[in-house]
Amino acid sequence: MATITPDEILDLVSTEVPIDRAKLDASATLDSLDIASLDIISVMFALEDKYGISLEQEDMQGVSTLDDFIKVVMAKAGQG
Amino acid sequence: MTRVVITGMGCVSGLGQGVEPTWEAAIRGETGVRHLKRTFQENYAYEGPAAYVEKLDTSAVEARFGAKALSHLDPVSVFASVASFEAMEQAGLIGHPSLEDRTAILYGVGSGGNTTIEESMHRLFDKKATTLHPLSIPKYMNSAAPSQLSLLFGVKGLVYNIASACASSAHAIAEGMHLIRAGRADVVLVGGGEASITYAGWAGWKAVRAMSSTACRPFSIGRDGMILGEGAASLVLESEAHASARGAAILGEVTGAGASSDAFHITQPQGEGAVKAIRFALEDAGLSAETPVLISAHGTGTELNDKTEAQALNTVYGAHMAHNLVIATKAAHGHLFGGAGAIEFILGVLAIQRGIAPPLLNYLGPDPECDVPLPVGESRAIDYQALVSNSFAFGGLNSVLVAKKV
Repeated sequence: MATITPDEILDLVSTEVPIDRAKLDASATLDSLDIASLDIISVMFALEDKYGISLEQEDMQGVSTLDDFIKVVMAKAGQG
Repeated sequence: MTRVVITGMGCVSGLGQGVEPTWEAAIRGETGVRHLKRTFQENYAYEGPAAYVEKLDTSAVEARFGAKALSHLDPVSVFASVASFEAMEQAGLIGHPSLEDRTAILYGVGSGGNTTIEESMHRLFDKKATTLHPLSIPKYMNSAAPSQLSLLFGVKGLVYNIASACASSAHAIAEGMHLIRAGRADVVLVGGGEASITYAGWAGWKAVRAMSSTACRPFSIGRDGMILGEGAASLVLESEAHASARGAAILGEVTGAGASSDAFHITQPQGEGAVKAIRFALEDAGLSAETPVLISAHGTGTELNDKTEAQALNTVYGAHMAHNLVIATKAAHGHLFGGAGAIEFILGVLAIQRGIAPPLLNYLGPDPECDVPLPVGESRAIDYQALVSNSFAFGGLNSVLVAKKV
């Protein structure tokens, strides 16, 4: 499994949603950024393809902000 | 009978983005064919001449409908959206109240979302993944493009995809005309597209031995096949009464359509079917073979298509063929498959409206079996009152359209 940084996670979110990278404040909620569950699924597929990090839908429980999402990804990558 | 007029046109292909840049490039005798060298997923390389879309400007669509308007779409739906946005904007119909129920969309995508299909198969078979992206099917289904267009423009009338290979968008234009004539819609967004310059698409066309390794040379001696293209082309058709009532500019008129099926062979064309489709279209438009016309040929540049098409034209027109002129623009924009009929119809309509025929490219000399009048090498001033636009698809599905100068 490749290593990943919070910045790289935000880059992926920016490309996959897509959304302007400058708008990605980590403390913002996904809802307030208009990031839908389908958008997050696209980010999850990109994480698996590019970094070999596999997230399941259950992992997303309790994820509200981008920060929450980054923590979940980092934990899955064994870097959390 | 209800008159059916054109109030908007849009296109994107390897030749350019937008109707005006495409027209200008076609008139100048430019080509969108370049050397393509591409590798899919690190292991699958393909290379050769193709008219591919190098850069696509989606900013106008995103500025109107938001940054996410075109996300999670296969390239074919993105092409369709960009071309249709141009057509709908020109028609002044974006956000127009008549889109509610009296507007339809008939779109011609021949083979669906090829990029998405191949990415999905790669994931399952090469990478041994057990899951696919939940949007895989919504992205690659044949009807993804017209569905996307209905979402984008808020069209709530009849919407469906027509898949008849290289005749898809010609059939869509014909059926759109019939819908308006029948009083079932006031406005129909028609057209088609394809995005199949992919690893499997390339291999498939190579296997059929229909691809040239050099250039598309319609009706020329020494022609050896077609060149793959991609993109989309869209038109807004409207009843003349509806267009006039809202003061829309009328860009052309669709006056006839004819269709037939060869019932002969899955790849080889048969002249009889082509002759019938042309005759049905002329009859529908109230034209006789004596009326001089500009003909936008199917003209793929394959040995058999061009020979059969030239013979069909000579059978229909006989000695009158000398007064006609045949343009064949696939040499410039490549073969757009689902979108071919629509982009060629647009260029043909512009040609009769503006009195200029785009030149025939890559011509090496006359083939006695393709004896039709051609604007070889240079654009030519013309004065035709009508256009006949041919689409003869794999599987023997023929669709011929007639337009009138307004």
